[in-house]
Amino acid sequence: MAIDVIRDVAKPILAGFGITGRRLKHPKVTVQYPEQTREQYPRTRWRHFLTRYESGLERCIGCSLCAGACPARCIYVEAAENTDQERYSPGERYAKRYEINMIRCIFCGYCQEACPTGAIVLRKNFELADYKRESFVYTKEMLLEEYPGQADEPYVSIYQRQS
Amino acid sequence: MSQSPDTPNLRFSAKAVAELESLKTHYPNLKACILPALWIAQREYGGHLPPEAIAEVAHRLKRSPAEVQGVATFYSMYNTGHKPGRHMIEVCTCLTCSVCGAWDVAAYLEQKLGIKMGETTPDGMFTLHGVECLNACDRAPLIQVGDEYHGPMDEQKIDALLERLRNEPESKVVALADALVQVHLKEEEREKARRAAEAVRN
Amino acid sequence: MARKTDAPPVNITINGIDLQVPKGELIVESVKRLGLEIPIFCYHPRMKPVGMCRMCLVEVGMKQPDGSVRKMPKPQAACTLPASEGLVIFTDTEQIHKDRKGVLEFLLINHPLDCPICDRGGECPLQNNTLFYGPSTSRFVEMKRHAVKAYPLSKHVTLDLERCIQCGRCVRFTEEISGDAQLAFRHRGAEMQPVTFELEEFTSKFSGNTIEICPVGALTSSHYRFRARPWDLETAPGICTMCSNGCNVWFDRRKGKLVRINGRTNEAVNEEWTCDKGKFGTDWMNNPRRASDVKVRRGDGFSRADWAEAYAEILERFREGGHEVAGLAGPMLSNEDLYLLRRMFDETFGSSNLDHRMTSVQGPAVEPPSFTIEGLEDEKGAFVFGASLSDESPIVYLRLRKAWYRQGARICVATSRPDDADAFAAVSVRYPQGGEAEFLRSLVAELRVQLEGGRSFGELADLASTLLETRGPILATESLWNLDQAGEVLAQLRLAAELLGVSLNVMALGANGQGAEELGVRPDAFDRTGLGTRQILEACADGRIRALWLAGVDPFEAFPDRSLVQRALENVEYLVVQTALETEAAAYASVVLPITAPGESDGSFTNVERRVQAFEKAVDPPAEAKPAWRVFSELMVRAEPRTPHFSAREILAEIAREVPAFQGVEWSAARDGGVLLGARRPLSRARS
Repeated sequence: MAIDVIRDVAKPILAGFGITGRRLKHPKVTVQYPEQTREQYPRTRWRHFLTRYESGLERCIGCSLCAGACPARCIYVEAAENTDQERYSPGERYAKRYEINMIRCIFCGYCQEACPTGAIVLRKNFELADYKRESFVYTKEMLLEEYPGQADEPYVSIYQRQS
Repeated sequence: MSQSPDTPNLRFSAKAVAELESLKTHYPNLKACILPALWIAQREYGGHLPPEAIAEVAHRLKRSPAEVQGVATFYSMYNTGHKPGRHMIEVCTCLTCSVCGAWDVAAYLEQKLGIKMGETTPDGMFTLHGVECLNACDRAPLIQVGDEYHGPMDEQKIDALLERLRNEPESKVVALADALVQVHLKEEEREKARRAAEAVRN
Repeated sequence: MARKTDAPPVNITINGIDLQVPKGELIVESVKRLGLEIPIFCYHPRMKPVGMCRMCLVEVGMKQPDGSVRKMPKPQAACTLPASEGLVIFTDTEQIHKDRKGVLEFLLINHPLDCPICDRGGECPLQNNTLFYGPSTSRFVEMKRHAVKAYPLSKHVTLDLERCIQCGRCVRFTEEISGDAQLAFRHRGAEMQPVTFELEEFTSKFSGNTIEICPVGALTSSHYRFRARPWDLETAPGICTMCSNGCNVWFDRRKGKLVRINGRTNEAVNEEWTCDKGKFGTDWMNNPRRASDVKVRRGDGFSRADWAEAYAEILERFREGGHEVAGLAGPMLSNEDLYLLRRMFDETFGSSNLDHRMTSVQGPAVEPPSFTIEGLEDEKGAFVFGASLSDESPIVYLRLRKAWYRQGARICVATSRPDDADAFAAVSVRYPQGGEAEFLRSLVAELRVQLEGGRSFGELADLASTLLETRGPILATESLWNLDQAGEVLAQLRLAAELLGVSLNVMALGANGQGAEELGVRPDAFDRTGLGTRQILEACADGRIRALWLAGVDPFEAFPDRSLVQRALENVEYLVVQTALETEAAAYASVVLPITAPGESDGSFTNVERRVQAFEKAVDPPAEAKPAWRVFSELMVRAEPRTPHFSAREILAEIAREVPAFQGVEWSAARDGGVLLGARRPLSRARS
């Protein structure tokens, strides 16, 4: 009887504690979010940003190719013509309105893939939660914010990328 | 055809009008008559084909001015650009002439006249142009002035030629245009044009 | 175009498949019979081939007596190669693939490849052909040619010279189709420019078509510039309602708003062309001054109301109004609108004071036009009287010009002012303004003389003899009712038509003017007697008419006598204005009812050749706007219990049952190509 108790109850418990005990030596994998954040993988795709040239002009030319490529149909672009008085981008055309509906977006990165000027990029900012649905429609002004580390990051055109 | 109610300013002389009327009968339609009509215009407008001249030809041939301008701007012998000088000096720059020193001739002319190729002297006397082969390689390096060939050229000959041209009262450019008009006409048609011109004079 | 031809058939072989085609047919067309495609840029089926772009190269061989095929050493351009007996064509060989790659590489050498910002990008033949047939890379690393970008050729057309591949389609269009020859190639060679003379304004009345046929983005629309990309657009078939020709068009909309109109092919009507008025004249649909709310007058101002309130007020004034109420109908109302409008006036209001004609005189009914637009092409001639066709009836103008250009038809023009048609007219005669009747009297006299074997001298005699030789239809427009002696002019025209044994066609000018005639929206139709437009306005001015209904018309704009309109609208007690825009007349209104513009609701229109063409809603209407027929139907239901109408289709079916002229008209047929109305119907008992 006592032997049964030891075999069926005490031994498994001790074996279990043994595993726990051995694990104590292993390094810790949980992080204390939000105080700590885990480093993200290099190709992580989250929030979109619209980038600028060094001259300060917008890279976006309002071509709508991102909207065409988007499988979730979440991008809306309205283009207009640059004038010498009001110049936003180097060529003839710029985006007067540029909106992304973040609720619809599936973060596939096709927009970045389609962009001929490298204007739209997906970066690692993943904390996108909010309280209102309307605030998920990111306007051009929001998207033109500089993302952390943008200044240090050299721009590589898709045509220069190593394959 | 465009229906511009305002007819262009017509400057053809009575002789030119008579010549054009004869020329029209040479061709199955008026479109085919554009080239000789442009020669008449070039003569009448003093060796130059400004837009007004093209508009006049278009009006007289009932074609659209755009079409006539398209034809005129294709051929390098129609002077649709700036107004050329009294004489047009054309330096052959093709192979044989180049080998025999055409570029030296050109450089000497440029220095002597103080203009670059394609320009006209400020006094409106000479226009300098480089042209492709003039088909007289035996006389390389060759210069063409109006319908005259001069060659082989050297600096003395150029000096003499320029001196002679300066004293020539008649524009070689206009003379060439006139020669090309006359080539198209039969003798009786030339006579008719002469009579038309005289009728106006009297 | 592939019109019926009586050329004898010849046997040719394309890619190993034997087929028979008419002798002389261009190979580029024969290939389509097999469902194959040859890439093209400069070739256009409606214009003469020129072989400028070299994109349509094919390998050609001839069958030898022993059955083998001897190929020609060099490829040929399929667009200039007529079919002949024993021709063997290869469109799919190694060599041809290589040739196409070479041609495209050359074309792209100087093309700026600014596709992302080009309005043509996404629907561009150059893009498509490069994708399907072109090289994936270019060996050209030197500087590209640079030229003017975004040069405004006119207020409609923008030219981007860098993108031009010099195919000459636009140049040939202005020369062959529109006939104004305003574009030509200047500075031919490396710097070739398809531009107007001295870069003057491109004033052609058909300039919009050059945008559509340009195979690259060299000619683009100034209005559509940067407004959308092709993949943003939703496209729906529509009918242009800017004039009575009823061109078939595509409505392209983005986010429910109309951004562009393109021509839609209908061989019987507009082929594939549109005029600039139709293509660019629709900006008013997006006008911020669109009427979008029901408004009722309260004191000096308007207050918003709901439909029920407005209906109650209207019914109080109009019901059983008899001869004290009247209505005027606009040219952009559909057949369904007009039919129910007439029924409402007949049955609910008991009034025959209903008219759609906005000419200064309303005369007795004229026989409906009997020409067909397509049929004009085969006429030996035509007599255009007193009409500037290129403005008033542009598609009829293009057909007449085509008849002259292709078959040498001899067109006679008699107008008081110089006209575009003079350029190709065999005889064009001017008469002094106001001298129309006298001119026609002397023409009729001359016709009589010539019929008896005599002939006088002068241009009138030339005109008469040409008319007698060609015996083409007489074309006039309803604007002749604005003439002082309209009745006499019409009588003389009838006489001339009788002498010549040809048809007299008085063409309607409004989009559905002909439909209004057919549906009896006029006081004397169907044996009724009422007041015509001028009488209605006069009666309003002196208080005999107490309530007036303006259905989709602003008489200030449409009616020639402005002061009469003003007196009428000031003095009429109650004024209903049904309008799409806040017009001048709306300021006088007692009730403003917003209506949908054509294209914002289903409807059918009857064009100048009596073709009923239906189309479905393509654009979203502003907030409260309703189709006019719905308003009429709802009012009739409120007046007395009856079955309401639910859709335009249903009403068209009812029209087909009730109106003899519309017998057999079905919605689906009217939508797909249109239905020509059948036999002439007796319009009124009293034909003077």
